[in-house]
Amino acid sequence: MLNALQISSYVSFAIFVIVVLWKFIKYATMPIHLRWELYPVPHEPEHEHGGSFFEYQNIWKLERKHDKMNELKEMLEEMLFIKRMFQNKRDLWVVSWPFHAGIYLILVWMALLFVRALLVLAGVQSLLPIADALIMITGAIGVIAATLGCLGLLAKRVGSWELREYSAGVEVFNLLFALVVLLTGLFAWIKFDPNFDIAKEYMLSLVSFGSYPMPPLPKPILIHLILLELLFVYIPFTKLAHYIGKYYTFHKVLWEDEINKPGSEVEKKVRRCLQFRVGWSAPHFAGRTWAEEAINPKLDVIERWKP
Amino acid sequence: MTKEVGIKDISKPSKQLIKLRLEDLMKLPPPYDKPGEEPPLTEPKEEWRERYITELDGYIAIDIPFDKPKNKDEEQRLVQRFLEGLKKLLDKENNWTFLQPLLLSLEYCAKCQTCNEACPIYLASGRKEIYRPTYRSEVLRRIWKKYLTPAGKIFGKFVSGDIELNWYTIARLAELAYRCTLCRRCTQVCPIGVDNGLIAHEIRKLFSQEMGVAPKPLHELGTVQQLKVGSSTALTPEGFKDIIEFIEDDIKERTGKNIKIPVDEKGADILLIHNAGEYLSWPENPAAFAIIFEEAGISWTLSSELVGYDAVNYGVWYDDVQLARIAMKHVEVARKLDVNRIVVGECGHAHKALCVVADRILVDEYNIPRESCMPILWDIVRKKKLNLDPEKNNFPVTLHDPCNMVRLMGIVEPQRKILREICPQFREMEPHGVYNYCCGGGSGFAIMTSMNFPEWRNKVATRMKFKQILTAFQDCIDPSIKKYVCAPCSNCKGAIRDMLDHYQATMKCGIYYGGLVELIVNAMVDIEEPFIEMF
Repeated sequence: MLNALQISSYVSFAIFVIVVLWKFIKYATMPIHLRWELYPVPHEPEHEHGGSFFEYQNIWKLERKHDKMNELKEMLEEMLFIKRMFQNKRDLWVVSWPFHAGIYLILVWMALLFVRALLVLAGVQSLLPIADALIMITGAIGVIAATLGCLGLLAKRVGSWELREYSAGVEVFNLLFALVVLLTGLFAWIKFDPNFDIAKEYMLSLVSFGSYPMPPLPKPILIHLILLELLFVYIPFTKLAHYIGKYYTFHKVLWEDEINKPGSEVEKKVRRCLQFRVGWSAPHFAGRTWAEEAINPKLDVIERWKP
Repeated sequence: MTKEVGIKDISKPSKQLIKLRLEDLMKLPPPYDKPGEEPPLTEPKEEWRERYITELDGYIAIDIPFDKPKNKDEEQRLVQRFLEGLKKLLDKENNWTFLQPLLLSLEYCAKCQTCNEACPIYLASGRKEIYRPTYRSEVLRRIWKKYLTPAGKIFGKFVSGDIELNWYTIARLAELAYRCTLCRRCTQVCPIGVDNGLIAHEIRKLFSQEMGVAPKPLHELGTVQQLKVGSSTALTPEGFKDIIEFIEDDIKERTGKNIKIPVDEKGADILLIHNAGEYLSWPENPAAFAIIFEEAGISWTLSSELVGYDAVNYGVWYDDVQLARIAMKHVEVARKLDVNRIVVGECGHAHKALCVVADRILVDEYNIPRESCMPILWDIVRKKKLNLDPEKNNFPVTLHDPCNMVRLMGIVEPQRKILREICPQFREMEPHGVYNYCCGGGSGFAIMTSMNFPEWRNKVATRMKFKQILTAFQDCIDPSIKKYVCAPCSNCKGAIRDMLDHYQATMKCGIYYGGLVELIVNAMVDIEEPFIEMF
């Protein structure tokens, strides 16, 4: 039998997944945009010097080659090490990277708890010691690194004028919220669950849909769990989910250089967009479709800018 | 630490948000490291203050007279029009062209400020707050959140930050959109890929597409004039044909070569389109192209049809519909001439507009191949189709990388390979290639010459490029040694011309400038007199 806490764990995770998916879909279903790539584009074979296919003649007849391995390398360097910040804003990177790396380790820790529960359900006992060791390493390093990083980020956000001036209250709140969850987690781990046994049992109870009983939870762990669930629900609605944006900015804008070849999918999408109506109010538009406006321009201008 | 200006100050009533001081600007290398070596800054005239927006920094980019609201109703009307425009920027039909990139940049900036040190304008100004790449973006973001998002309406400044939308905000934002050259260096370093240059571009669009407000050199005298009379320079088809005759005579006089420049020749392989500014300001550039293409046996033609002889497309800087209109004209001309491809001459923004940005506007019969002149030129040099003697170019040469052609298109090596081949004293600026600095004339600044805007351009926007040029030539800075800045882009040349003039750098340092093809022709063995004139 599942209790309210277990059900809320499912619900919070489900909300997280659904909202993240919804955000991905929101961006994926936007109209095709004009090309706006920025070099170096890592999948270009000439990426070493930032070159592109435009360095060659008759590009429309050329067979495009893509260095997918280099794109993967660039992507991983950015995801795992925040390369651009390391190169250009080192003082922030020293706190931002531990925070992000710590979060990644905590996510790996959660995934390992999940895998361990599956192993238990499948009766594969032999792999449990390895899973336990990995859970210990990732959980311990993850929570410490993320907590220290979060503290540092918060200090920077509040202490540095250029960060504070540009931040709304919610941006400080996001960090505070993450910090509270991390601190309660740190406290729960050190004081009540040094080997993550309770965490393992709780995950097992979730994965087995209640077949395995939920362990008794000391109050601090209960509080931490509730806060963690709230954070899961909160993240996708906020900028904390900037990984969604990062995927699109790099893969669908800055590195997106597909040529509009005759008869291509790109051309079909563009043709559809050209049938949208131009609803802008400036005097050089006549409220026709983009295609019509482009072919037969209206060219009125204003003499004075009036309110 | 507190700064003189914060985000919310943009809406505060004051005569001028900031004032530039010469002593705050980025220091320049010798011989400009001593006081008195560069002209002082000036004050805007009082009559300008009444007619234009001087409330930002005292400089005027938008040279359309602005009737400032006389009462609350008028102010409210302006605010509503602005918000209508902002809604359209975030609407898929009105802004399908950039909706996704814009929304990503509005939604996901982490305000980490990693981008600041990449911005040449911010650095050159002595780190003036309003020129920080994130400043105008954050103003727009706060307005969007506060006035147009449910979260902003419910939670107020807790989610949107502090901002008030009044006529000061709108007027200053309009000017502020023209304090960024759209070079997008800031985007290169952003860990999230947020594009502050794009946000400046979108603000310009809001004003142009909703209110009809844009600097006259870009709109009324730019794209509108180009569509009406054929060129933003006001050059007509008849005038163009006269200039071609003049160029043929000039080639004969300077080189002894009888060259008939092909115009409107149907069925040629290439339609070559130059920035029409070349014909008027630097006719030696199209002349050099003609010499090279004829000697190399290229099948090519120019067009004398309306818009067909002017590659510029200022729409790329401020108005997507104007961009589309001009791009359509370019390909229409190519279609009528039945050429295989359009090749863009030495003009960076025309490269990007026609080859990259307009790529997703042109469909069906308008979808004609378009490419750069650079690989063709390298091919000609590489295959030794011309007899070249590098010793004829034995003077210090450095290369300016036009942002549009290099960072935004990835054309990096062909021009370098040519220079390495034909210029024994070629040296790079630092940084260069895709990490170059803008000339300061980007996004229209080179042609915006109203009132005191050129002063801002020369003092702030081009300052980093001037520093780079001086640094590249420090080992030979003596004015008796003639030096050449190769800038294969008309707008960059315009900005560099004005920069050298402003700082009197030709006289003080012996620095000259010009394009790439001029260097190639200068190296041709069978041309006796120097094609490049440095005197």
